Amino acid sequence: MTAVTTRAAGVPALRRDGVRWAWGLGTLVVLGWSLAGAGLFSGAVVNTAGTRQFGRFAAAALSPATDAAFLGVLASSVLITVAYAALGAALAVGLGAVGAVAVARTTWGRRRLGWALARGALAVPRGLHEAVWGLLLVNLLGLDPWVGVLAIGIPYGAVTAKVFADLLDEVPRGPYEALRATGAGPVPAALYGLLPAASGGLLSYSFYRLECAVRSAVVLGLIGAGGLGYQLSLSFSSLRWPEVWSCVYALSALCVLAVVAGRAVRRRVADPRPAGDRLRRDPLLTTAVLTTLAAVAWSWWYLAVSPATLVSDRTGDQLRYVLAAAWPPDVDGPLLSAVASAAVDTVQMSVIAIAVATVGAVLLAGVAAHPVRPTVARRLTGAVVRAALLLLRAVPPPVWALVLLFVLLPGVLPGALALGVYTLGVLGRLAAEATEELDPRPRAALTALGASPVAGWLYSVLPAATGPVLAYALYRWEVAVRDTVLVGLLGAGGLGALLASRLAVFDWGAVTTVLVALVVLTAAVDLVSARARAALR
Amino acid sequence: MDVGERVAVVGASGAGKSTLLAVANGSVPATAGTVEVLGADPGALSGRALRQLRARVGTVHQHLELVGQLRVVHNVNAGRLATWPAWRAAVSLLRPQGLPEVLAALTEVELADRVWERTDRLSGGQRQRVAVARVLVQRPELVLADEPASALDPVLADRTMALLAGTGSTLVASLHDPALALRHCTRVVGLAAGRVVLDSPTAVLSLADLTAFYRR
Repeated sequence: MTAVTTRAAGVPALRRDGVRWAWGLGTLVVLGWSLAGAGLFSGAVVNTAGTRQFGRFAAAALSPATDAAFLGVLASSVLITVAYAALGAALAVGLGAVGAVAVARTTWGRRRLGWALARGALAVPRGLHEAVWGLLLVNLLGLDPWVGVLAIGIPYGAVTAKVFADLLDEVPRGPYEALRATGAGPVPAALYGLLPAASGGLLSYSFYRLECAVRSAVVLGLIGAGGLGYQLSLSFSSLRWPEVWSCVYALSALCVLAVVAGRAVRRRVADPRPAGDRLRRDPLLTTAVLTTLAAVAWSWWYLAVSPATLVSDRTGDQLRYVLAAAWPPDVDGPLLSAVASAAVDTVQMSVIAIAVATVGAVLLAGVAAHPVRPTVARRLTGAVVRAALLLLRAVPPPVWALVLLFVLLPGVLPGALALGVYTLGVLGRLAAEATEELDPRPRAALTALGASPVAGWLYSVLPAATGPVLAYALYRWEVAVRDTVLVGLLGAGGLGALLASRLAVFDWGAVTTVLVALVVLTAAVDLVSARARAALR
Repeated sequence: MDVGERVAVVGASGAGKSTLLAVANGSVPATAGTVEVLGADPGALSGRALRQLRARVGTVHQHLELVGQLRVVHNVNAGRLATWPAWRAAVSLLRPQGLPEVLAALTEVELADRVWERTDRLSGGQRQRVAVARVLVQRPELVLADEPASALDPVLADRTMALLAGTGSTLVASLHDPALALRHCTRVVGLAAGRVVLDSPTAVLSLADLTAFYRR
């Protein structure tokens, strides 16, 4: 009775947020469509015959190859990977610095159209995965170290240019305008008024790119550029599981090293030491910059990169031939319908991957986060889960796809799941960090009134962490679409597989069509993801 | 402390009021001495038994324990998490359960019209009243209130204390306002540097006595 009277006294009706519900329902529909497309509801997907091989593979995890001969091979593979990463990142930072000037708002001023066009031009190199660049460049340059360097440097350079330009544009304009008002030219004014404020961000981002380049160098190895990735695929295809695991552990160590070093530099940039009254350089930053420069010079020598290759007659002829053959793009019916169905496969793979990763990340985030009141058991499980997540993201998705093919039948599903477990490694860490940043008091209050751990989690951690974790998931979806192409290149279907098959027969007109489709698709996904993130806010 | 007693804990900031309440609801272990809450020692219990004891103790914090991203209805319903099975707690997030009790409690604190609002859209004083509503639906035997009136205007502060005092539960409230302590409590305990320096029924205290205690 009381309820009825209070309602009459003006209790508003429950109003759901229509936009969010539409996004939520839309997501479920797309996920169902993707799972159906991957054949989950139609026939067998599990390959029971492969379980024994999978067992042998998994058992080898505890006994990696440690014989001297193989360790020697491994060491030189690591050096090659590091050299590609260092040179690629250096090229990217150089291109990015030049490109940033070309796409910064500061340069264009009020000329909106020119700025928009310059920005749009960056979407093309950015929309293509490093591995796609690798395959294209190998056709131009042959088997040359430049292929690996450029394949990292070009797409990374485009991303770096955009980020550098944003960093410059975010700097308050006051000092710059004041210098201009005193008669300084635009370049000196930028050097004194803009660059000092942005330099920390620029340095941090450069080191972040170096970290990413290590991963990309491994991936390029998988498609033949040499190094750890190449060694990994060799050992895999010759079924030498202990060697595979040695490679995986070397990879993980390399990734950890890159992340730890990169993070140390970025922390120091964010929180500089006081200089005092003497001119003193920060020893950590100086060492990092000098080591990196030395590594770049050493890489140049170690890979025997020769600038002459880029300007040789053969390269010029090949470029002219390919460009002539690649334009105009093929637009015949069968090709277009193949592109459309491959694009659908690509989207479905990325959706399944991100769904698997998000669910896994939400479930594991609590365990992976550093506990507020640690017990020994809790700390131990946390360490194990964090190590597992690290392993998941250290191994490139195509290798996970090969592993999953032991137990799954070929098709879209193994590729999607491979991408899913890899993304889980990344997203799990991000979700754990988001959980660590939550205010612990609401949860403590629920514990104090007798709520069980599950109920306490539902009413405090879940609602508070949903927003940040979903935003991360949407961002990783953009990355996953690009990575889907990579998994596809190695045979898992979608646009990547179509591209690989067209490249293999030098059908350049069709290659152009697929590349255009790729760029359009990634741009569309970026747009949808940005809209969804806006609806979350 | 007897059942049904209403105790005001007074003292300067840092005197140990909040610590006393936290020890009583079992969120902070006692470093010395013995603790007995509703006939049990929270430090000696664990798991389900501890949860059952905690369900009988309700705490009003300084409105910082609410989850901003949840609607008001869920933050109030959180008071019943100790008695609800996990599945019911999960279902309630999608389709709120026990709405009449929630609305009744919110009507008591004059917030019934905000039942569907996201909690982080409310003002500090409104959030404090949501925290009170949570304890009202919990119906504990012992209510611990940590400055439940600090963010409220005098009229609402008085009304909130009357609500907490009128539940019939034993009440332990830390208060800064001597007048509120005298009007709504049966006993006043004064703390200084973690020690009890005053313990007296309100009947023999005057407003001047209490104000003088604060001034010391």
